[in-house]
Amino acid sequence: MMKLSGIRYLVNQGVENVWKNRMMAFASFCVLLVSILLVGISVLFYVNINSIIGGIESKNEIVVFLDKDITKEETDDVEAKLKQMDNINSVEFYSREEAYDSMQQSMEEYAEVFKSLGDDNPLIDSFRVSIKDITKISETISLIDELDHIFKIRAPLDFVNILTEMRKIVTVIATAIIIALAIVSMVIISNTTKASVFARRNEISIMKYVGATNAFIRVPFFVEGMITGIIAGGFATIITWLGYDAVVDLLTNEVNILNIIGVGSIISFDSIAWKVTGTYILSGALVGAIGSVISTRKHLNV
Amino acid sequence: MVELKNVSVTYNTGVDALNNVSLKINDGEFAFVVGSSGAGKSTLIKLILKEIDATSGVVMVNGYNLSRLKKKKIPELRRTIGFVFQNFRLIPTMTVYENVAFVLRVIDAPRKYIRKRVPYVISLVGLQDKSNAYPNELSGGEQQRVAIARALVNDPQLIIADEPTGNIDPELSYEIVELLKGINDCGTTILMVTHEHDLVRHFGGRIININSGSIVFDEVIGGANDEA
Repeated sequence: MMKLSGIRYLVNQGVENVWKNRMMAFASFCVLLVSILLVGISVLFYVNINSIIGGIESKNEIVVFLDKDITKEETDDVEAKLKQMDNINSVEFYSREEAYDSMQQSMEEYAEVFKSLGDDNPLIDSFRVSIKDITKISETISLIDELDHIFKIRAPLDFVNILTEMRKIVTVIATAIIIALAIVSMVIISNTTKASVFARRNEISIMKYVGATNAFIRVPFFVEGMITGIIAGGFATIITWLGYDAVVDLLTNEVNILNIIGVGSIISFDSIAWKVTGTYILSGALVGAIGSVISTRKHLNV
Repeated sequence: MVELKNVSVTYNTGVDALNNVSLKINDGEFAFVVGSSGAGKSTLIKLILKEIDATSGVVMVNGYNLSRLKKKKIPELRRTIGFVFQNFRLIPTMTVYENVAFVLRVIDAPRKYIRKRVPYVISLVGLQDKSNAYPNELSGGEQQRVAIARALVNDPQLIIADEPTGNIDPELSYEIVELLKGINDCGTTILMVTHEHDLVRHFGGRIININSGSIVFDEVIGGANDEA
């Protein structure tokens, strides 16, 4: 078993190596930085698109119209049964009086028409039902349909289908892009570390000749790769943070599209800052360390 | 101690590098290995370091039976052997002190011991004033002396020097061999591969001549300086 002082020496070696081999370390750093940024930004982009689509979905609700002559008890009964359904998020009663008022308000130019109706409200009571999983909307509708005293159900089925399809396509494309980027990054990183290790093959072969174990040879490379990766992850975080905020600013202030689909659907950087930082630094450290260690393998067979 | 019994090495390419070689070098001996290039000298060294395995026969080095030695145990074997390369192979980013201390760190020696042993070994090869110099600030002869200090520092039973004088000025070659002789006087077995016949003639001792994979000459001869 290696002594603690030995491990400390090896870790120090790794730290020193970053500086001693700063040109190669810088190359690895750049490659790692770009790779983390590419993958990270793709993921963030995907997560936001998903959140926007989710935001649009959540605005969609099923309107359940009740029979005209329904009693208060029967209404309560329907509401209770709706609330018991798995896929239903919330149920909101919308009385015919409320509906009538808002109709009058939104159609002020027809005030005369409403006046001629007098107290005779032609509208009916309804429930506004929001759905948890929009892909299961059809099943939910048929369940609601089986209840008594239901006059009619109105649901934005076409729109839901489009959104569901869109989400599927976005997921497939994003996954493909992210996987491709990750693979390309790994290849470039392993080549860069390979070059870095190749530049030090002399050192490695001497270590082998004086009886160093493979673990002993690898630890400094491991530490070096990890440090480079952590620094790259840190820089990538800063760049992403600045870039992300700038883009969100631009979209909220300059482009009105977001006001239509809802700014709330864009994820603010503050809410994911720790996740992004943690993931970036961790993946940087992991890829850097593993990349270095894999690249040393070939040179260890002396 | 190095002992080969009926050892043959055939490379994957079909080349027979060593042909039924038997050889015994006792503890404390100093032996020159000579022969033209391609004769099998490098193969012999690689065998002793277990860089390659014998196709047939038995190789014993410092008490290890190499054909039975597991890969994991190779570092253990190599810690009993000091190695000096023709091209020095010092680590350019390390000072003289670090290059030598490095070996002890590899074998996880106590720091106190390292601090005592390294300056001592560096002074043995006469470089105490260059302890903090980098290899590129030294002459070829000095670099090879650092390499010898490195081979010596963990007090190995055997030092193999592979053409240690090949890359340095001829007049300095004698110094290097003198140094190795001095180390040998303290009990370390030395195996020096060379093709500089002048040197061999000058120092004398046991000469092992390998030709086409076989030992064609293995005798002790008197050196020129013995007669003087």
